Amino acid sequence: MNISAKWITTLVLTFSSLALVFVLNPDGQLRILANLLTFAGIYALAAVGLNVHFGLTGLLNFGHASFMGVGAYVTLLLIPHAAGREGEINENGLPFLLALLIGIIAASLFGLLLGLPAMRLRGDYLAIVTIAAAEIFRLLVRDLESITGGVYGIINFSSALQKYRPVFFDEAVISLDLAPAQIWVGLLSWISVFLVLLLLKRLSSSPWGRALRAVREDEDAVRALGKNAVWLKLQSFMLGAGIAGVSGVFLAFNYGFVETTIFIPLLTFYVWAIMILGGVGSLTGPIFGSIIFWAIISETDKIASLIFENADGQQLAGVRFMLVGLLIMLLMIFRPSGLLGKKEELLLNVK
Amino acid sequence: MSNKLLEVKNLKKTFGGLKAVDVEHLSFNKNELTSVIGPNGAGKTTFFDLVSGFQQGDTGEIYFKNKKITKTQPYKISRLGLIRTFQLTKVFDRMTVLENLMFSGSSIKNDSFFQSILNTSSSKKYESDLEERAFEIMQDLNIEKMSESYARELSGGQKKLLELGRSLMKNPDLLLLDEPLAGVNPKLAEDLLEKIKNLSDQGITILMVEHNIEAVMKISERVVVLAEGKVIAEGTPQTVRSNDKVIEAYLGTAHE
Repeated sequence: MNISAKWITTLVLTFSSLALVFVLNPDGQLRILANLLTFAGIYALAAVGLNVHFGLTGLLNFGHASFMGVGAYVTLLLIPHAAGREGEINENGLPFLLALLIGIIAASLFGLLLGLPAMRLRGDYLAIVTIAAAEIFRLLVRDLESITGGVYGIINFSSALQKYRPVFFDEAVISLDLAPAQIWVGLLSWISVFLVLLLLKRLSSSPWGRALRAVREDEDAVRALGKNAVWLKLQSFMLGAGIAGVSGVFLAFNYGFVETTIFIPLLTFYVWAIMILGGVGSLTGPIFGSIIFWAIISETDKIASLIFENADGQQLAGVRFMLVGLLIMLLMIFRPSGLLGKKEELLLNVK
Repeated sequence: MSNKLLEVKNLKKTFGGLKAVDVEHLSFNKNELTSVIGPNGAGKTTFFDLVSGFQQGDTGEIYFKNKKITKTQPYKISRLGLIRTFQLTKVFDRMTVLENLMFSGSSIKNDSFFQSILNTSSSKKYESDLEERAFEIMQDLNIEKMSESYARELSGGQKKLLELGRSLMKNPDLLLLDEPLAGVNPKLAEDLLEKIKNLSDQGITILMVEHNIEAVMKISERVVVLAEGKVIAEGTPQTVRSNDKVIEAYLGTAHE
């Protein structure tokens, strides 16, 4: 399949999955579309970060949710917020951008902390360590209630970001009968996606990116050629973790609250599904993977209710996962390199 | 003696009850082309692994350029100028031949994250010099037509050439070649042998493990014979060939 055919398939799939929203919903289509595109932007950012780990460097990271969580928690705790059961508003806080920067650094450092012992292990072991570390992080956050708000979470932080919303933006969004707060988060996350992709485009074709790809291919050969493979892997881990941190912050702002159940392993697996769908190692793949994934997530209920007439909500939710699973299976059979992945650079062990 | 490039003292490595390497003393001089031969399981590759830092010996010391390199990380040993290849070729499959070579030649500073983001004119210059050097090496090895191919698409022999070329990008002082001729067709093997001889003439010290006895005898200045981890003979190809122990352990009685 040549490049243009690949792009045509991708664009057709993307637009037809978005068209589902208009076909299946009698009203509120624009609202549903806005909602799913916001989630798509946030998850695309997370998938771009994961792609640095797996696509570029070949690191099996199954703890992506924890990097998103560290970024979110650190940022939110630094801006004005209310944490815990009492929910007293702490008015003192840093400006959003400064807090975000510290949040990104914190997520990167968490990556470093995790990576230092784990990078000496090979492939599968890293996967085990990351999945365990992510759960430890989540349980710690749940139990350290005095700092993180525990199961009650953090609320009342949205204004730190929403106060920067321009007036003309509000007017335009309201005239479309949409919620300005959500569109603002969605817009900012898509802007972040493009900024990060610009940075990665530069990096992946640079000597640094070449070194990471060499690590992905054969660590022993990298060592034999005088390069510090562990340090290269740590750098990759930190960069991807930092990107995930930003995505975690936007996820929290989109919900308007944050609590530990957001950062469960399922989140990590969603991000993996998006990355595989878009194409492992492809820079722009996660964008399309994420839109298609979220269109399916948001519309499967309706598709399922067309097929099964008397199903209740819980049963429909089950069908949703079945359909997502089916989609990934079909993808692995017919396009194992994902929508935009290069066949020559196929990373997953399928022929 | 300043002429010694690599020196090994009392090097021992056991796997369970098996003595893989048990070398009392071995040294390798500058500009010499030495071959290490021996039957399968004689400890040749383990010896290479120990010298290049990929495995740790139980006891003993290794000196490279009079510097102790025992228990040193492989990448640090490599930075000193000791470059090895692998018995089972390790090329970067999903990178092009050119990228394979350029990655190898690239300096640590050029590889750095911030240097890569800045992408200054001096680093662009560095990259284009690197590319030029890579093409010189590809031409020399007759693989320049493959420069844009993924390394996984190369034949076994071409991969051996690429691995050799990749090592040369580092301008090594000592080159450890682990079975450079294994799985290579006779014609290419002859070319490769010629290349190795040329490199030796250019002043690179070469240490190679090879099973192709005829090839070894033809180009080596010195031959070291290992059996069950021990050095059983060393010397010029002629003396080794006529050594009784060697004939018994390796060449076999059928050999004339």
